[in-house]
Amino acid sequence: MELNQVSFRYPKHQTVLHDISVEAPKGKIISIIGPNGSGKSTILKLLAGILTPTVGQVTLDNQSINTFSRKQLASKLAIVSQKNDLYDEIKVIDVVKTGRLPYHKLLDVISDEEVTQYLAMTNLSELAQRPMTSLSGGQQQRVWLASALAQEPEYLLLDEPTTYLDIHYQTDLMAILKQLHEREQITIVMVLHDINQAFKISDELWLIKDGKLVAEGSPEKCYDSELLGAVFEARMQIVTVPHYGRYIVEIPGK
Amino acid sequence: MNNSEKLWYLVIICLLIVTILISFTLGASFISPQEMISAFSGHHPNQNEILLTIRAPRILAALLCGAMLAVAGALSQSAFKNILADPSILGITSAAELFVTFGGFLLPTFTGGKLIDALLGGAFALLFLTSRSVLKSPYKLIIVGVALMLTFSGFQQLFSDGMAQTTTGSLNGITWSDTTGLLILGVSGMLIAVLVSPWANYLKLSGVQLQTKGASPLLMRFSLLAVMVYLSAGTTAVVGIVPFVGIVVPNVARHLVGRDYTTLIPMSMLLGAWLLLVVDTIGRIVVLPSELSAATLMTVLGGPFLVVMLQRRLSNGIKSS
Repeated sequence: MELNQVSFRYPKHQTVLHDISVEAPKGKIISIIGPNGSGKSTILKLLAGILTPTVGQVTLDNQSINTFSRKQLASKLAIVSQKNDLYDEIKVIDVVKTGRLPYHKLLDVISDEEVTQYLAMTNLSELAQRPMTSLSGGQQQRVWLASALAQEPEYLLLDEPTTYLDIHYQTDLMAILKQLHEREQITIVMVLHDINQAFKISDELWLIKDGKLVAEGSPEKCYDSELLGAVFEARMQIVTVPHYGRYIVEIPGK
Repeated sequence: MNNSEKLWYLVIICLLIVTILISFTLGASFISPQEMISAFSGHHPNQNEILLTIRAPRILAALLCGAMLAVAGALSQSAFKNILADPSILGITSAAELFVTFGGFLLPTFTGGKLIDALLGGAFALLFLTSRSVLKSPYKLIIVGVALMLTFSGFQQLFSDGMAQTTTGSLNGITWSDTTGLLILGVSGMLIAVLVSPWANYLKLSGVQLQTKGASPLLMRFSLLAVMVYLSAGTTAVVGIVPFVGIVVPNVARHLVGRDYTTLIPMSMLLGAWLLLVVDTIGRIVVLPSELSAATLMTVLGGPFLVVMLQRRLSNGIKSS
């Protein structure tokens, strides 16, 4: 999966992304990090085919993403957005079932059995028949993840999956992702707000600032306080925490 | 389906059976159950005639109309993502009626014309309701809908004053041929509604969500709307406008069996059938020897229901795309 000299702007707005070329190698976990409003989510939406580049193209398995039908695309990649609107009360299991739509004809009825494994993967089996509104934020996030997994994607895109979750749920979700990645070899591209989380879980990082790709590479390469300082416009320091490893902290003041 | 849902289904089915039996006994002349049995076994040809050629088609028509309108309401609420969206409030049935009147004026002898006119009318009203700006705001949808409804019924009055035939939303004098028409329409429409009921659930997700899952929300939405127009315009073509069934019934059904459309739609069908039969039966006997139309009684019942519902749910009940 690749962005090829991609620029993007919303109609009648300023350019959000400038000439980005970057590749998401198969089977890796990639995190996109950068300050708010730098264009991270836009990259994810371009990769998912929700937005179309103004210039350049997005390719999937060396084929332009536009050439895939909606169903083909949905069986190859799934996205979990940050904000998931629901217009009416719906049961957990019905949300997960929508993930099976790429594999069904229009009028097929999707059975409960078909989605049990995805509920189990995300520890939701007990909650299957509950309405979404009765769930906590963390549980809801897991439902959207289960629904994305039901698409059996090769690529999983996640937009700030841990935002709004308390620390316990964050660790929970990250553990589930890591486990899935190891078992199913899914390529994961995600936008993460917490840079330390991103450094810990990822094989590769994309550092974005003002719509430009500032750096890409392994966490090893990116543990660079000057680089991070430049991206986040702050003084950064890398410290070592016992039983955890390297940890990036922001030093107050200029 | 859980146990309480099953229980409600059982309750409604029992109620339906009892109401059907009672409805056979009541009317301009009372026919007791014993008389009914002897009439059916051929002893009282007069009563047999009343039961088979007057009451039976009327009861069946009431059941069908109620079920069709209630299902149309549920479909419209899903497609518009708005629990107040009802074909009568949105002006769809008034448009259907107006087109039937027009059609009767222009091509009076064309068979099957009424249904086609009504469908065209419903589709015409839909044009105004599916613009982007209207779909975005739930209140705008309802206000535009009410405005359409008043406009179409204004024109309807304008035209029908000059002509003798009007449809009044009454089941009085309905014949077997009308009822057979309704039966074909209703069974086909409701069968499709049950088939597409999972879509009504999927549409609770946002359009972008569904697209990333390989589905076509537009196709789903318009299919539901097409079935809705088919059912509501279909009843209008045969019996005229019976308002509010589509809003009262699905919202009561939501309280009984929850918001899953795969159980809500069949429940609305049963409950709608029961409600309209009750209303029509009451209308038949309260002002003897005259009658109150089902439409009048539904207005009296549905209007206050809508007001109460709006006041109770103002803050949390109405969401839209």
